[in-house]
Amino acid sequence: MISLMDFLMVGAGLFCTGMYVILTKRNAIQVLIGIELMLNGAILNLVAFGKYDRFNNGGQMFALFAIVLAAATTAVALAIILNVYKKYKTIDPGKVDGLKD
Amino acid sequence: MENFLQAIDTLTIRFALAAVVLPLLAFVINICLPGKSNKVAGWVSTIAILLSCVLSAFVFAKVWNQHQVHQQQLWFTIGATKVYAGVLLNNLSALMLLLVSVIALPVHIYSTAYMKEDENYKRYFTYLSFFCFSMLALVVVDSLVLFYVFWELVGFSSYLLIGFWYTRPKAIMANKKAFIMNRIGDIGLLTGIIILFTQYHTFDLEQLFGQNGLVQSATQISATWQYIACAGIFLGVAAKSAQFPLHTWLPDAMEGPTSVSALIHAATMVAAGVFLLGRVYPLFNPEELIILAVIGCFTAFMAATIALTQNDLKRILAYSTISQLGYMIMAMGIGAYASSLFHLVTHAFFKCLLFLAAGIIIHEVQHIKDENQLHIDPQNILYMGGLRKKMPLTFIACIVAGLALIGLPFTSGYLSKDGILIQAFEWSEGKSWAFKLVPIGALITSWLTAFYVTRLIVKVFFGDFKLLKINPSIKLHISDGAWQYRVPLIFLAICCLFPLFSLNPVLYEHAWLFGGFSKITALDRVNIYHTIIPAGVNILSVLIIYWAYSVYIKQKALAFPETGFLFKLSYHEWYIDPFYNRFIIAPVMALGKTSQWIDRNIIDGFIHLLQRLALGFAKIAEWTDRYIIDGILHLAASIVLGIGNFARYFQGGKVQYYLFSMLAIILAIFLFKILI
Repeated sequence: MISLMDFLMVGAGLFCTGMYVILTKRNAIQVLIGIELMLNGAILNLVAFGKYDRFNNGGQMFALFAIVLAAATTAVALAIILNVYKKYKTIDPGKVDGLKD
Repeated sequence: MENFLQAIDTLTIRFALAAVVLPLLAFVINICLPGKSNKVAGWVSTIAILLSCVLSAFVFAKVWNQHQVHQQQLWFTIGATKVYAGVLLNNLSALMLLLVSVIALPVHIYSTAYMKEDENYKRYFTYLSFFCFSMLALVVVDSLVLFYVFWELVGFSSYLLIGFWYTRPKAIMANKKAFIMNRIGDIGLLTGIIILFTQYHTFDLEQLFGQNGLVQSATQISATWQYIACAGIFLGVAAKSAQFPLHTWLPDAMEGPTSVSALIHAATMVAAGVFLLGRVYPLFNPEELIILAVIGCFTAFMAATIALTQNDLKRILAYSTISQLGYMIMAMGIGAYASSLFHLVTHAFFKCLLFLAAGIIIHEVQHIKDENQLHIDPQNILYMGGLRKKMPLTFIACIVAGLALIGLPFTSGYLSKDGILIQAFEWSEGKSWAFKLVPIGALITSWLTAFYVTRLIVKVFFGDFKLLKINPSIKLHISDGAWQYRVPLIFLAICCLFPLFSLNPVLYEHAWLFGGFSKITALDRVNIYHTIIPAGVNILSVLIIYWAYSVYIKQKALAFPETGFLFKLSYHEWYIDPFYNRFIIAPVMALGKTSQWIDRNIIDGFIHLLQRLALGFAKIAEWTDRYIIDGILHLAASIVLGIGNFARYFQGGKVQYYLFSMLAIILAIFLFKILI
């Protein structure tokens, strides 16, 4: 039987992978993928802890909301990346430094 | 009846005021006229003075030998003191009013021709009208304050007119001299006025010096103050009427246009001093009157001796004016009040005539000089001679005026001058021998006058024209000139004869003018002087005239060696100017230079020291400010800057780096928590 601990371990692995991707990749799309990975790690935690709420399925419901919101934020973020590309001709987040003093 | 009288009086006052204000009006109009040599100016001034003359004649007819007219209004109030301003018309002021305007009229007419070619024709008439206004106002005002004001204005307009040709350095020196000398006198007059006011608390001439005036009735004034007041007033008189210590400005004042000399420095303004004496006469006590007589006599004698040897036509006349003014002052001193004023009037006519004639002569000689480009002084009588054929009218006028000046019978001068001489002898009667010197001095002066007048006339009108001798090629186009010259001469010459003043040509007591001043009574021909003096004076005068005539015309060997001490004394005007230069002007200048040196080296030096000290302090303060106070501020600023730069170092613009640092910090906190 798959225990709660296994879900949490997979979730933590996803989170760490996402964190790593965000910190190291030179491409905003890949950073976005990293964010999605971290988000999914967190959602996995929600679903896993959902077993303590069998009647209302609060964990699952909350996970669904988070997935929807994540989709929306991804769309917005992609649009931003598109505009950033138009302006800077690059999507490397290290080179987009217009706010630097 | 009362009302009727008052109405007439008011009319008289108005007429007098109009006579005074008309020249002021002309002055204002002339200022507003365009152009420098606007010929309208002459007519404006002349018409104004003509109207003044008519009005004055009316005023004179109303006032002479009748009750005096006095009106005044409150002028201003200081504390409890009320100062009134008004018009006081009595015999004296009405006479002076008429005299000034009647003398001014021919001078104005004469000036329209005399100044015709001057480029500052308008300015001349502006000043002349201003002078007439001041002088006319001076004689009618009733308050000492106003009197002083117009006294100053008269002096000021005289200053302007002496320096009329201000491009000539001599004219500038002369008007400065006249101004400064008059200031000395004005200080005296002002002192006198102030003392009178502190003692009697009024400026009103009528209250002070009228019948039963304060000066005569009140006894509160102390002798010292009385003497100082009299001395002050005498100083004023001496400066204005060119009496001995302060007379040297008058000969120099002849730098002005001749018509001005005729009006101001011979006939009217210089008589203002005598007029002032007439106004304040009751103030003087017997001792002071003796001093007046002595100074007047001395001035008359001294000026006459100087006039003997001068060669400048106008200078001779100027000294003769001083001499005649001396007579007037002396007459005041011996109590011959009426004779003094009588002489003032007659002198005004004949001296004005002499000056106007001199003006014509100078004008013509100037023409000769300009035409032939000679380098001569047009006023020097040594260059003249034989002018009687060329200028017959001027010659006759000069003869008439000269005889009046000498005081021969049938002229006005005889009436007034012999009156003074006779009264001088009467005055010295019964006094010690020293007092005899005054009438004897006057007598000698009168003979000296005969001599210098003859010398002047002979040198100018008789003999040959000296310039022709020097330079025979000169062509003479000279004449008496236009009607503007002739009419004033004829008018004044008639006024110099006896009928204007007395129907009896021999007895001065019968002159109507003499009767107008009732201060002197006892005019009976009580003693021998009344016969012997006129006879003696005139017989000797005629002899002297003949002598002078023979000396100069027949070219006999000169009666006087030109190297003698007396000649030098006279020629150098008694060395009074050099004396003043050395003993008054030089010390004053030295004082000025010393104070300038003190100012420059000590006072300025002290200030410079202060300045250096202040500069030193300022430098120290600046150093402190720059290195200590600013240093603190800069230190604070650089600390803030350092912190800022340190913090800015993290803001590299790399998003992932921020995220990494955040993670690192969170991890560090967690580790920290775990370890603790």
